[in-house]
Amino acid sequence: MPDGKYPSTPRVDAWDKVRGAAIYAADDARPRMLHGALAVAAVNRGQIVSLDVERARAAPGVRLVLTHQDMQGVQSAGFLLGGGFAFQSFQPMLSPAIHYRGQPIALVVADTVEAAQHAASLVAATYAVEPFQLSLDAPAQDIVAQHGSPLPQATYADKVAGDADGAYAAAAVKVDATYLSPPQHPNPLELLSTVAEWRDGTLIVKEGSQNSGAVRHGLARQLGLDPARVQVLSPQAGGAFGQKNSHQSHTVLAAVAARRLDAPVKLVVSRSQGFHGASFRPASRHRVRLGADRAGRIAAAIHEADQQTSRHDLFPASFTEMTARLYGIRNFRGHERMVRTDVQTPGYMRAPFEHPAGFAFESAMDELAYALDMDPVALRLANDTTVDPLTGRPLSSRHLAECLRRGAERFGWARRSMAPASMVERDGTAIGWGVACGAHKAAASPAAARLEAFADGRIRLAVAGHEMGQGIRTALANVLARRLSVDPRTIEIIVGDTRAADQHLTAGSWGTASATPAADAAGERLIQALRSLDPGYSGGAPAEVLRRAGRASVAVEVATKAPGQPDAVFQRLQGGLPAVQGPEFPDFVSMSYAAHFAEVRVEPRTRRVRVPRIVTVVDCGRVVSPRTAESQVRGAAIWGLGSALREISETDGRYGGFVNADLAEYVVPVHADVPEIDVGFIDEPDPRLNALGVKGLGEVAMTGVAAALANAVHHATGLRIRELPIRLDQLLAAPAARPT
Amino acid sequence: MSDAEGDCGTQGLPHPNRREVIAAGISLPVVAGVASGIAQPASTPAPERIPLRVTINDAPYELSLDPRTSALDMLREQLSLTGAKKGCDHGQCGACTIHVDGRRVVSCLTPALQLEGRQVVTIEGLAPSSGELHPMQQAFIDHDGLQCGYCTPGQIMSAVACVREGHAGSADQIREYMSGNLCRCGAYAGIVAAIQQAAPRMGG
Ligand code: FES
Ligand code: FES
Repeated sequence: MPDGKYPSTPRVDAWDKVRGAAIYAADDARPRMLHGALAVAAVNRGQIVSLDVERARAAPGVRLVLTHQDMQGVQSAGFLLGGGFAFQSFQPMLSPAIHYRGQPIALVVADTVEAAQHAASLVAATYAVEPFQLSLDAPAQDIVAQHGSPLPQATYADKVAGDADGAYAAAAVKVDATYLSPPQHPNPLELLSTVAEWRDGTLIVKEGSQNSGAVRHGLARQLGLDPARVQVLSPQAGGAFGQKNSHQSHTVLAAVAARRLDAPVKLVVSRSQGFHGASFRPASRHRVRLGADRAGRIAAAIHEADQQTSRHDLFPASFTEMTARLYGIRNFRGHERMVRTDVQTPGYMRAPFEHPAGFAFESAMDELAYALDMDPVALRLANDTTVDPLTGRPLSSRHLAECLRRGAERFGWARRSMAPASMVERDGTAIGWGVACGAHKAAASPAAARLEAFADGRIRLAVAGHEMGQGIRTALANVLARRLSVDPRTIEIIVGDTRAADQHLTAGSWGTASATPAADAAGERLIQALRSLDPGYSGGAPAEVLRRAGRASVAVEVATKAPGQPDAVFQRLQGGLPAVQGPEFPDFVSMSYAAHFAEVRVEPRTRRVRVPRIVTVVDCGRVVSPRTAESQVRGAAIWGLGSALREISETDGRYGGFVNADLAEYVVPVHADVPEIDVGFIDEPDPRLNALGVKGLGEVAMTGVAAALANAVHHATGLRIRELPIRLDQLLAAPAARPT
Repeated sequence: MSDAEGDCGTQGLPHPNRREVIAAGISLPVVAGVASGIAQPASTPAPERIPLRVTINDAPYELSLDPRTSALDMLREQLSLTGAKKGCDHGQCGACTIHVDGRRVVSCLTPALQLEGRQVVTIEGLAPSSGELHPMQQAFIDHDGLQCGYCTPGQIMSAVACVREGHAGSADQIREYMSGNLCRCGAYAGIVAAIQQAAPRMGG
């Protein structure tokens, strides 16, 4: 299109997906396949005293039972944030130690799923139990400030600009409030699944992952293998949402069993076991203080937060990296602490820090708007910026004000009356309209790509990246199709395959901004190669050129990296380690932005909250795949809704673990919950970040949605709920603040 | 053998031990210090295999099955029909939805032996021929009613049944009657739009 916008094209893998022909890890079904099932710890902390696996071993169909006594020589893969590859440093089943309820204590492998599950139920253990703690209200020795900790201080030190405490003390209008965000589980619909097999001394693993490179190098480290002897295939993940962003604890168990049995082993971790077997969104508590003048110019913001980590790892938070940059607030202080709890190490669930931080900060902004008696959109517009408050560097692009203006227009915000509980239906249903913004770092990683064109018409791109449903294949196909002037359907895209390209973690909304520039550069290189065969070539089907030149194929390779990254990042890419730059780049700072407008309806007697509509307008730079991008924004709005009104992983202080560990008790939005979601894009490229002008989308689109809903609930009822999810008990406990 | 009326459930089962397998799969015992899993007599004898005759996607099958096997595991692990997905194994997500005698059931809660004599259709058998799509499949593509695709076979099988049941009269009715099919990616709006597109094209 002349304005540079990309057309809305169908998802390239939809044809397979609607036929059940897209292949996920557990879809590997073969006659000789053996099946694994885990037995897990029934206590939250302590030591295994005795482990009786005899009945399991004797059960019909059982081939093998592995316990910690059978894992000699296996190492930890190391913690993702400590130079390793796994979501936690602790590898279960290497010792009798129990660090959390639900931790695997034995793997049973049998001829059939039924035999394996039955035998796993026969594993019996006794434990010496130790006390544990799960609360953010931990003793002082369990609380670690990130500032001054062993964590890299360039990233995790306090975020300070100006003198926030002084400016806050002097401010005319102030807000000081504390917000709570609960533990949550990503629950991608695909269960954690691994198929492991050995062929001629090479370990081949199929697993839905966002980080096949880390699975590969993690297994190599754990088993003492040359990484060249490990191949990981992850062509599709059935959703991931951060839970599949690193090496999992169960994978090596399947690999060891497959080696012992010299047969492929499929291990599907049950839904309930998945609540303990992989990472989750940790609980966090946020105190936000805002100080403004009477015109609504915010002079100071102080954001202090505690976040749950495990006892064995320091999983840090980056809440204030975002909130410091959401507005042009010159005096800012952000301070984060980690609270040790006895759980598996938590991790990165979609908008891991931005969502809870956004709920807190954007709720506080709404509280400030009411303290000022100022329209909440106007307050936000009054605090816009073109400069990054933390570094003083320019923002590469920022269209947040335009997101707010367009969103307000689409939503009909001008018709809102400011007073809480002032919009009421005839039947007493309270109507609430809320607004909130979100920001997310725009980051990028190195990427390697190999592009091959064949005389028979095929074009094949292999690139670092993973398809978890966000639509990366479609984005890659669109970019390459435009560069080469070919039909996107003629391009085969290979992602998540360590045999085809070195694989980097696909997360943090940097996937598209990292992989599509590599694809585009590869396309450019291919055009040059075709021109050397035919100087007149100016795009179109490469097959013609190849046939005329008598060539079967031509291949090119490129490697790209983020602005300012040193060449050393390519070694990290090859080693399966994250090498991400952003939001800070040498000459600028890059963020994506979103503005959300939400309507809630609160029923007069039951206080049930329904959400009829959400409007989201996003500034994610150039939109390279409009159709999948819209779907991603809708999904993110639904995630915000789930987070605001439904999702909490309940813990039990007596027994430990997560008690609502299934899809009936862990409540996620269903069809009947889902509102009309109107999606808009600014679609202005950010050429400083990469040649295509792509920023990130998947997480910014969720950031702030929960606050928009909470602010709408306040507008409907006058009740300020500062703890997620918002539930009936909170709305019923307070006196109804509505006219009749 | 089975005289249950097509729905998932355990009535009509010769050995109702599917429940035992389910319990073993999910249980996290709450009594500290006790083993995970449910105590069972040692060395349970191998369950006797039981014959099953069933038609799947118009093809007749004669099988011999462990009575604990779910319809889902039979399809996936024994017949390599892996279109139906396992998202929970507990009837909570709908990813495993198939048609049995034209009615939608969650195959993870359907004992395979309950399919005796029945007509089963899975996502692999929905399209009229291999190069074509069912109108519902095409509508899912047109409205991008999917992201990761993991829930998609179940959504589509459920959607086709929803239309045939006469429960696709309005967007609200579709939402109500599709609420047993979770989509964690949140492709719900596209799914509802797809069902509205496909319903009039599905004919009788
Ligand atoms: S797998 Fe059957 S309903 Fe979830
Ligand atoms: S498309 Fe991913 S769960 Fe529905």
